[in-house]
Amino acid sequence: MPNNLIIHLDDVYKIYFEGQESEVRALQGITLKVKKGEFIAIIGKSGSGKSTAMNLIGCLDIPSRGKAYLDNQNIANLSESSLAHLRGKKIGFIFQRFNLIPSLTAKENVGLPMLFQKLSRTTRLNKASKLLNLVGLQERADHFPAQLSGGESQRVAIARSLANDPELILADEPTGNLDTKTGEQIMDLLTALNKKEGKTIIMITHDTAQAQAAERLIKLRDGQILTDE
Amino acid sequence: MIHDYFNFAILSVRHRALRSWLTIIGIVIGVAAIMALIMVSVGLKTAIKEQFDLFGSERILISAQGFQGPGTLAAGLTKKDVETVKSIGSFKYVAPALFRQAEVRFKNEVKFTSVSGFPAKDFEEAFGDIGVDLTEGRMFRKGEKGVAVIGFRVATEMFDEDPRIKSRIKINGESFKVIGIFEEIGNSQDDNAINVPMEDARVIFKEPNAVDGIMAQAKPGADIPFLQKRVERALERARDDENFQVLTAAQILDQINTTLAVVQVVLIGIAAISLLVGGIGIMNSMYTSVVERTRDIGIMKAIGATKNDIIGIFLMESGLVGLFGGIIGVALGTGLAFLVGFIADQAGFSLLKITINWGLILFGLGFAVVIGMISGTLPAVRASRLKPVDALRYE
Ligand SMILES: Nc1ncnc2c1ncn2[C@@H]1O[C@H](COP(=O)(O)OP(=O)(O)OP(=O)(O)O)[C@@H](O)[C@H]1O
Ligand SMILES: [Mg+2]
Repeated sequence: MPNNLIIHLDDVYKIYFEGQESEVRALQGITLKVKKGEFIAIIGKSGSGKSTAMNLIGCLDIPSRGKAYLDNQNIANLSESSLAHLRGKKIGFIFQRFNLIPSLTAKENVGLPMLFQKLSRTTRLNKASKLLNLVGLQERADHFPAQLSGGESQRVAIARSLANDPELILADEPTGNLDTKTGEQIMDLLTALNKKEGKTIIMITHDTAQAQAAERLIKLRDGQILTDE
Repeated sequence: MIHDYFNFAILSVRHRALRSWLTIIGIVIGVAAIMALIMVSVGLKTAIKEQFDLFGSERILISAQGFQGPGTLAAGLTKKDVETVKSIGSFKYVAPALFRQAEVRFKNEVKFTSVSGFPAKDFEEAFGDIGVDLTEGRMFRKGEKGVAVIGFRVATEMFDEDPRIKSRIKINGESFKVIGIFEEIGNSQDDNAINVPMEDARVIFKEPNAVDGIMAQAKPGADIPFLQKRVERALERARDDENFQVLTAAQILDQINTTLAVVQVVLIGIAAISLLVGGIGIMNSMYTSVVERTRDIGIMKAIGATKNDIIGIFLMESGLVGLFGGIIGVALGTGLAFLVGFIADQAGFSLLKITINWGLILFGLGFAVVIGMISGTLPAVRASRLKPVDALRYE
């Protein structure tokens, strides 16, 4: 297996409530190879299975059928806790709804992924400061999520996704809750991460302009890959 | 790591301050009740032990029982009964006593208090045997008359001007010279009493024959229960009735301890119920917290939290809630115990001494933390089992 593959989905199915009347075939035979350093956009109608695919790539879920590899490891063979560990170490998540922890300050939120990697408090605080600096929010470090604007929240979320220097960043509609201008700022940040830091980025979007910015565009329909170019 | 969970828990409890306060009330009450209970009963046990020592473990006390006085046939104890007990022959001394209320006058001030008559020749030995000392003066001796040894409070509180050694007091009109003052014994009965020789007591109470109680001091190493039986049998035979009671210190202690144990069981039961309610309160609040924070749990799992991390965070939080409850409960309970001690002291029962016991305080805190954690276990496990995808989809 070629070693520069970070993600490999091999004929993957995800079927909810399998065998029941309410069965949902969210993914139906997806095969996808992602090389390190790629910037991929996934588009498709609502319900086409974009988030489901993203969850499998991000090891948040396990395929019903087929195999999913992260860094050449079959995620089905990993225990729940090593999966969690791997997720925290290798993947940074950015969500449409920011998903910051409301009881923690911006800085504490950014430090959280490092806490789960059992890094020391000083290391965490230093790194968190640097990352907030990177996204231009150093003076918001001690603010709580409720005190931040949408754009600021998403920048904190980006800083958090970088906490453990992951190779892969997964962004599920990162600009979906932002106005066009703020959305562009976020896109600039992500593009810079891909170009300058060499991060592999997979991003779900509804915005065709944004999708064009990516090197590779994957279109899903009814749980299958329609185009990949 | 533990330290980080701890910080995390503090932040989260801070975030839900009001609910957290409501949650700990049950724990506060339970811990306070248990603390106060243990502190008071430890103090009480010590007090009873001291009282027991005061009574003397080798002493048998005989008193009248049943209806007495004019109009009833049953007679109280008399000099004759003293002789009966003496005739058994196994005692160091057998001392009759008269204790009655009397009018006591000192410098134109009149009080009513209990006055005890005690054979002058046995007085020193009887009090020496139970380790009661004088603060001043001396005990009365064989053949002495018209002298009094007064209790601590008689000498310090009863009169506007305190009687001293050589002061003259009048009891039921007869004049007595104070020759000794007892140290503080700790119960108001003894501390407010005045002791005079038996012959004088017979005069002031106009009782040539009667006896209110008989103290029989066994020789060291004697078989007390056996002696008690012999006294009972001898008195039954001589008096031909059963209107008397023969008690030993061990029996009295038994009676008191049995009563105390019953009270303790009841109170501990109440405290336990309150703790249970407190625990359920924490559990309920933690379940709510898990549901409310389903999304947070999903996020934490997405960014690398393992099951154990989640369990750790929630257990720490419920333990912390328990700890807060424990701190307040311990403070409240300790305060309560001291209040009981203070009230007892005001009521004249200064034998009851409440002491701070750091071990007990640590136990109280630890107990509260453990209750918090136990109550948090099920919610924590439930939180840890949430699947990240489902948790993230939760609205
Ligand atoms: N946990 C789940 N349980 C049951 N059905 C699910 C679950 N997750 C997703 N689905 C279903 O699977 C299908 C694909 O959902 P998915 O969220 O992947 O779509 P999506 O492309 O991300 O849509 P959107 O653009 O609206 O976010 C949908 O029909 C959805 O209802
Ligand atoms: Mg989606």
